[in-house]
Amino acid sequence: MNEVMAIAGGTWSRILRMRAIYFLILCVLILIGSAYRYDVLSLGLHRILMIDVSLLLNTIAAILVAVSITFEIPKELREGVASTLLSKPLGRTHYLVGKLVGISVAGLVITGLIMIGFCLVFGSFFDRVGITMVQGHLLVMGSVIPMCAIGVFFSVFIPESLSAIVTAICIWFAHSVIALSNVPVVYAGILPDLNLFNLKAEAAYELGGIEWSYILVAILWGVAYSVFATSLASLIFSYKDLK
Amino acid sequence: MSNVIEINELTKYYGSLFWKKKTPALDRLTLLVPGGTVFGFLGPNGAGKTTTIKLLMDLIRPSSGQARILGEPPDSLDVKRQIGFLPDAPAFSSYLSAREFLVICAKLLRIPSATRRKRIDEVLDIVKMTNHAGSRLGGFSRGMLQRIGIAQAILNEPKLLILDEPLVGLDPHGRQELKDIIISQKKIGTDVFFSSHILSDVEKMCDSIGILNNGKLLCAGRIDQLLSATGVRLHVNPGCDNIAQDFLPMATGSIKLSDGGWELVFTTTLDLTSKLDKLRAERPGDISVSSSRENLEDFFFRKIESDRFVE
Repeated sequence: MNEVMAIAGGTWSRILRMRAIYFLILCVLILIGSAYRYDVLSLGLHRILMIDVSLLLNTIAAILVAVSITFEIPKELREGVASTLLSKPLGRTHYLVGKLVGISVAGLVITGLIMIGFCLVFGSFFDRVGITMVQGHLLVMGSVIPMCAIGVFFSVFIPESLSAIVTAICIWFAHSVIALSNVPVVYAGILPDLNLFNLKAEAAYELGGIEWSYILVAILWGVAYSVFATSLASLIFSYKDLK
Repeated sequence: MSNVIEINELTKYYGSLFWKKKTPALDRLTLLVPGGTVFGFLGPNGAGKTTTIKLLMDLIRPSSGQARILGEPPDSLDVKRQIGFLPDAPAFSSYLSAREFLVICAKLLRIPSATRRKRIDEVLDIVKMTNHAGSRLGGFSRGMLQRIGIAQAILNEPKLLILDEPLVGLDPHGRQELKDIIISQKKIGTDVFFSSHILSDVEKMCDSIGILNNGKLLCAGRIDQLLSATGVRLHVNPGCDNIAQDFLPMATGSIKLSDGGWELVFTTTLDLTSKLDKLRAERPGDISVSSSRENLEDFFFRKIESDRFVE
């Protein structure tokens, strides 16, 4: 466990040190806040727009974090950093799990900061923050874990430039599972159903609180999927020759 | 003393699952590295030295054969706790400082937090990088990275140190310091296995060597045994130039002395020995014969050349 946390610590500290991340969070919050000014253009639906935009931008931030791991792992493999680390008493599976934990924690912190920022911005314009809005953001945070697992999976066997594209496409498909449900070859249960983490309609139209058990099951499902994807990645990685 | 490294028929073909190169990078390598030694692993570029080291470090998978380090397979985490490794081109996370990187290594090596800081300070002092402990690794030169590479390799006070081209990228001063570190590691009981191109350094530091060429082991053994009595020195007295002329084509080295005599150096062969015996019997007053010790550089090139001739 120590080994996993050592790798994870290095990964999240790298991401959370990037100034671009805080610039991204600031931009997201400015965009969310600016939705308030669309009251005329949206015929008074700016409240709904603000909630919708916040969930959408938080999801995009989560995707960017997940895609960032597809640059880090292949780069470490190419430059030999991974070889140096793996010459220590660190199993290949531990290395991948450490990367997944590290990037997931960074993703949770970033999406969490966006959620808190949204609550502050929304609370300053409107009277109260609904529980469904918070639940919607919590599910976006939960979706970080399976999305990062997809990134880790592709990054162990696809070169860095291509793995980012493949991961982004895969996540896009995974968010479109309902639309693709009639195409069994594409979906077939292998892609994660990221639609489980989408509460935009419920949050925007404030349809009342969702059962907390649903939130818990969705997050647990995401964790289970991550275990599956990481196991598969680990199996492929165990046969890979390192630089 | 038991062997620290045992390699048996190790073969490695590079390539993908569906396509493999026809020539192996390593061809049925069998090598025993005894404990209590500094072992130099020599060979020209592309000989298979780095491939061997990567196989020993479990960074690549063998096509066939097996290796054992400290009596266990290379993928054993227990073994990795007892060895230190410096790759040929050390690369570390550029965003970390030297100290942060060593903290991660110390955590991976399970060095207790109570002694972690002290040990990191010690190794930084050994490699003379204390003043750069807080600097980002991304801004380090090749030589500085090499020093940090050494620091992480000796962090756990290893039983066996595996170094891939440790002297590359260092200035003469840095090379001397690294040689001192290797010798000091040997003094505290650490076995050292390292590859190098710098034969003069290898000759000074190593007890044993192995020479690899085209993925095959040409020879291995104690350096004093390999180099002893490998040559013959023939002194030809002044006025006996005809003897010198006869033997000159066979000589690996020759000097015309200021007194008109000759000094010829040969590699020992059966043919040469019989010719010299005959000459000693016929003209005992004109020559003197003594054994000469080849230096490692001559020995190395002779081995590589003879292997090329065999091919």
